[in-house]
Amino acid sequence: MYYIHSIASISHQDSFQNPNIYQDLKELENESEVVSPNYKDYIPPASLRRLSPVLRMGLTASIECQNNVSGAFDAISVGTALGCLKDTEKFLNTFHTSTSDFLSPTAFIQSTHNTIGGQISLGLKNHAYNMTHTQNNLSFEVALLDALMCVNEGKDNVLVGAADERIDFLQTVQPSLIPSEFPLTSGASFFVLSPNPNDTGIGVRGVRTNFNTKNIGDEIDVFLRAHEITRNDLDIILHSDSIPFKTDTKKLNYLLYSGMHYSAPAFAMHIAHDYLKTELKSFALVVNNMCPGTLGLTLIEKQ
Amino acid sequence: MKIHITGYGLISSIGFNAEESIKSLRIGQTGIERGRFEAMSNYRVGAITLSNEELKERFELNTDGSRTALLGMVAAKQAFHGHEISDQIRTGLISGTSVGGMDISEVEYKKYLDQTDHNPENYKHHSSGTSSMQIAKELGISDFVNTTSTACSSAANAIMMGARMINNGLLDRVIVGGTDAMSSFTISGFKSLMIFDDDWCRPFDESRKGLNLGEGAGFIVIESEKSRKLSKKESLAVLSGWSNASDAFHQTASSPDGQGAKLSMLEALDRAGLAPEDIDYINAHGTATPNNDLSESKAIQGVFNEIIPPFSSTKAFTGHTLAASGGIEAVFSILAIRNGYLYPNLNFRTPITETGLTPQLKFEEDKEIRHVLSNSFGFGGNNSTIIISAV
Repeated sequence: MYYIHSIASISHQDSFQNPNIYQDLKELENESEVVSPNYKDYIPPASLRRLSPVLRMGLTASIECQNNVSGAFDAISVGTALGCLKDTEKFLNTFHTSTSDFLSPTAFIQSTHNTIGGQISLGLKNHAYNMTHTQNNLSFEVALLDALMCVNEGKDNVLVGAADERIDFLQTVQPSLIPSEFPLTSGASFFVLSPNPNDTGIGVRGVRTNFNTKNIGDEIDVFLRAHEITRNDLDIILHSDSIPFKTDTKKLNYLLYSGMHYSAPAFAMHIAHDYLKTELKSFALVVNNMCPGTLGLTLIEKQ
Repeated sequence: MKIHITGYGLISSIGFNAEESIKSLRIGQTGIERGRFEAMSNYRVGAITLSNEELKERFELNTDGSRTALLGMVAAKQAFHGHEISDQIRTGLISGTSVGGMDISEVEYKKYLDQTDHNPENYKHHSSGTSSMQIAKELGISDFVNTTSTACSSAANAIMMGARMINNGLLDRVIVGGTDAMSSFTISGFKSLMIFDDDWCRPFDESRKGLNLGEGAGFIVIESEKSRKLSKKESLAVLSGWSNASDAFHQTASSPDGQGAKLSMLEALDRAGLAPEDIDYINAHGTATPNNDLSESKAIQGVFNEIIPPFSSTKAFTGHTLAASGGIEAVFSILAIRNGYLYPNLNFRTPITETGLTPQLKFEEDKEIRHVLSNSFGFGGNNSTIIISAV
């Protein structure tokens, strides 16, 4: 068991510092916005001005996670599907339109995917392992897989999370980059995992990725069997597209609440955690089936 | 658990495969020249002289993709040559890239700005994760696909991630490395940072002014002992050490004493169970920027003290291939072990005053080389070290 010791999400829901986001979930309207915390409480104003939304969200959620645990993180694993889009577009604009030989490097510097992880290590003065994974809709799951390996390897205090940002231009290219009927949104969710038990008894049991998915039900069964449970043991399934089998288990499509971005499965893990808070011993399964042919499965348990 | 290396492949401006690359390294022939594409015409770069169509035809690629993906396919296919997909060997692909399909997106985005023929469909190659999926598809790999993206340390981190997945029992065999194509985006980016040298780059030289950009891909195949028995492939070398640490100093600059670099080298040595004096050759990151080479030199001195093994940067040959560099240099490291090669640090004349270090200056072979340490450092203070050892 990989116990969850701290959680912070910035999303289109009232999620930041909310002790139970499950109870406050509201279906998103089409034109919803990120519910931003007061970033100035976390980031000095001079730095804040330069940081794009995805950097603000990722850094603030991480600092909040650090504030709630004792001891520095001994590994940091970040997932992002499309990375720092705002700075990428800004720099594309700059070099395509500028006639000057002198370009401002800030947007370029902040355009690489690992600016999120890099800003976290800089902001926290953290010298530990720092990884950035980007694998489309499975970016969070591979980051989580890395984090679980870090715990297996003896690390005690592992920060893992995912962040993605929406820019207006994404709407124009949505069908080829992030096809979905749900409104495009932004979000960041971060967690601290540890082998040491916590007060809630809630943690991650395991994660699995699949890149050649033919039958989702079969894949779920194989995954659950590896953890010695069956579909009947699940109390809730959080999914991102319809589940192609009959079940009496409670179901929740998390994209209704997160909106569409490829870090949404991290937000779903936050929902699952808070749902389990009010339950007795039980299991929640996050099914990431938003892209046909690939599948992410994350099993959360309350002991 | 031993991590065996059972294949390698690379493509860069100094060669379309290992044999051609070694030939260039042997005769001191750089791949860097004034570019033939508009965006690069003012700079010396290590460009691969084949167009995307030529790459597909010459290397018989069946999968479409950005230039980053195509270069990755060329190197990964070489590495996987002679291997077979098997139900008994869980096989994954982990690729490091920083630009992904930017070479296509940036052209399309210009059309968007000019409001001429903008086709949103052409962004389907943009995502870095997609470029890895395309490489995996070309190889027929579907058990696991992942992309590490930590700028210039991406490939080293992909190698490390693969080794850890084998150690954690999640995969048996992984094709690991990195790929990055030349793009106007990165050329303009490094220009904005003013870290290009208009002349040929001069790693570890007192007069160094900056880097020359390159492009390419490098991949290696790593597998467990159990997997190697099934694949029946010869173990060419072993991946004995790896580490990643953060400098936590500045988004783009390295700390003056190379704290993160020192940490990553020391942790990699520790994992390999080696002492600094066991290292026979260091393939340095050595980008030839004033900041990196001084910081890396100090970190090397901090780890190795007085007795510093032969070291060199091969980036004056290939150019800085960014996310691919750790993969390309891992292949050079394997060949150093196999053939006792030491690679020359081209264009060096005068040691850096503060450190006084002189790198390896000529190509040598048949040296006794058992352990090679290879550094890759990226933006965000992301420092990685891998160690490759004789079997």
